[in-house]
Amino acid sequence: MESKLLLPNRYKRIGLILLIPSLALGILVRFFDFQFSFLTLQFVKTRINSKDMHLEDTINLTDEMALTGIIVALLFIAFAREKTEDEYIAQTRLESLKWAVLINYILLLVATWLVHGFAYIDVMMYNMLTVLIIFIIRFNYVLNNSKKSFD
Amino acid sequence: MTKPFSMKNTIRVERAILNITQQDLAEKIGVSRQTINAIESNKYVPSTVLALKMARLFKKNVDELFLLEETD
Repeated sequence: MESKLLLPNRYKRIGLILLIPSLALGILVRFFDFQFSFLTLQFVKTRINSKDMHLEDTINLTDEMALTGIIVALLFIAFAREKTEDEYIAQTRLESLKWAVLINYILLLVATWLVHGFAYIDVMMYNMLTVLIIFIIRFNYVLNNSKKSFD
Repeated sequence: MTKPFSMKNTIRVERAILNITQQDLAEKIGVSRQTINAIESNKYVPSTVLALKMARLFKKNVDELFLLEETD
């Protein structure tokens, strides 16, 4: 069975290699306020109403880099073809996606009721990644389980 | 995970007769070893195409390899 929308098998490894520095960068940004200074962009805003006022705005793109790296890496891992991509693996893939979406929203519902205030921003941040993470874990768990045979 | 249909198969027996491993069988019909293992442990019901390929390999009819359970 032809599975469309999948990347070649080697992307699984590329994704894993990309995930390590991206995740490290993400943790540095999130918990240690780390920034690459060369990624700071400056904007000069001019307000029409108060002509004298110039507001300088800066944006640092370190967090954008980290999140992009993590999402691309997870997508590569999740959408890489298995070495032998067949009908059972395609079914497992779909089933795992179903699981991932369901568990993701159950977690989100629970967190909605348990987490309040600013901490909820964190919930939403992690929730951006949980669908892919749950999918990858469930899919690989099932395939690994079916590898154990009694030949 | 519940079984989609109540069905059993004789793949493991046929494989023993030919004295080939799950890996050998998988390679002969172009699927992964996980698939053979899932079929043998009744976790997965193969497509008609795959069932026909196995039947051809074992020189059996499909309904000799795959049997509906009495409970159906």
